[in-house]
Amino acid sequence: MSLLRAVAAIAAMITAFLIQATVIDPFTVTVAVSLPAVVVAAVALVDGPAAGMSFGFTAGLLADLGSTHPAGVLALTWTGLGVLCGVAAQRRSVRGDAGVAAVCCALAAVFAGLVLGVVHGDGAVVWQAIRDGVPAGVGDLMLAVLVVPVVRAFLRSEALRARHPAFTELNVARHG
Amino acid sequence: MRRLTRRQRTASLVLCVLALCFITLDLGGTSLRSAHSGVRGVLGSLYRGTDAMLGPARRFVQGIPSAGTNQTRIQALRHENAQLEARLNAAAADRSTQAQLAKLQLAADTGQYRVLPARVLALGPGQGFDWTVTLDQGTAAGVRVGQTVTDGAGLVGRILHADARTSVVLLGADPGSGVGVRDLRTGQIGVATGRGSAGFVFVPLDPSAKIQVGDQLVTGPVGSTSYIPGLAVGTVSSVRTSVDGTTRAQVGPATSATSLDLVGVILVGGDAVSPRVAVAPSGTVAQR
Repeated sequence: MSLLRAVAAIAAMITAFLIQATVIDPFTVTVAVSLPAVVVAAVALVDGPAAGMSFGFTAGLLADLGSTHPAGVLALTWTGLGVLCGVAAQRRSVRGDAGVAAVCCALAAVFAGLVLGVVHGDGAVVWQAIRDGVPAGVGDLMLAVLVVPVVRAFLRSEALRARHPAFTELNVARHG
Repeated sequence: MRRLTRRQRTASLVLCVLALCFITLDLGGTSLRSAHSGVRGVLGSLYRGTDAMLGPARRFVQGIPSAGTNQTRIQALRHENAQLEARLNAAAADRSTQAQLAKLQLAADTGQYRVLPARVLALGPGQGFDWTVTLDQGTAAGVRVGQTVTDGAGLVGRILHADARTSVVLLGADPGSGVGVRDLRTGQIGVATGRGSAGFVFVPLDPSAKIQVGDQLVTGPVGSTSYIPGLAVGTVSSVRTSVDGTTRAQVGPATSATSLDLVGVILVGGDAVSPRVAVAPSGTVAQR
């Protein structure tokens, strides 16, 4: 990974956390909408599972350490999210990718609830996570429609392009 | 659908195992406490800066639904009403314990607490995670872990972590958290367990206690509770008695966890030195 990509990844993570805590959370207290998760999904959909899982793990661990729940819960969840979105990457439209990102993020929110339920031994948390999966997916979809094109534009720019992106210029030419 | 290469499969497995190790470490001991504290401090400072930029715009947008209506006036009146109810609750408590209060020379001593105003900078994620808010005041202003936070009328929560400039409050309504409470009408004590935005579930210590709809609950002395006593927790909205005779009551919260903005940290408790004058036998000098 180039230094520029690493700096861009850290900047994206911190920006996502700040916007999540100060803007999104106050408006979505009752629904688990997560901007950092959507960014992880968008990165994986462009750059594939390897970039997705490493970005997801790092962002998740940082979010865990900045919160009061046990460290590792979001790292585990967003690593899985990165892998899932990476393997689901196809040459889709922005709306198609936003839909995939929203579904995967909703599944990740439910999974995180399951892990927390197991960790705390609280069945109510599990039930709440399952119940809130659909509204969380709708909220994530609204975010993904905005985030996916921005992430795509950044990661396809000359400076931030991956050495082995999920879809190379050759793929584009063949499918085009 | 793409397939993972062998290296990618190995890497994902290693990362998952690493995450599980972190969970085990954090659950099992205090080895990650410094890391938590450091990251929280950095993020807290960044939240503070971001809120200074985006906060006014956010508060403006949050106020749009009530613009042009009487909603703001209604909210102000509700708040005033809650404060008056809190005074009535305090008066009721005073009546029931008038004899003891007179003997201990502690009438109406609640005003002796120092309350530090603090603005909510950020909210925690909820949804299975801890229900927390981040405040813009920290240890530099006298905030200490364990101190009680109020909105002026009722209980908000207690300080969970405090850095120099920011602090994190665990809300009383946090699912899984318990608050020691007292029923003002009967004097019964028990535990109110948080249920998020739904309020609390109150279980009195005495299973035969006669709890009624409309009973007011205030923070009280149960177990190792660290809350300041006498703060309004909520009002009983329904009561259910199970076949084994256990009474459980649903409690509507006195403060809304989802609309907190300006709160007050009561600078007593935790590691702080109590500013309250100790009660001394008559004829002797009171000491702090």
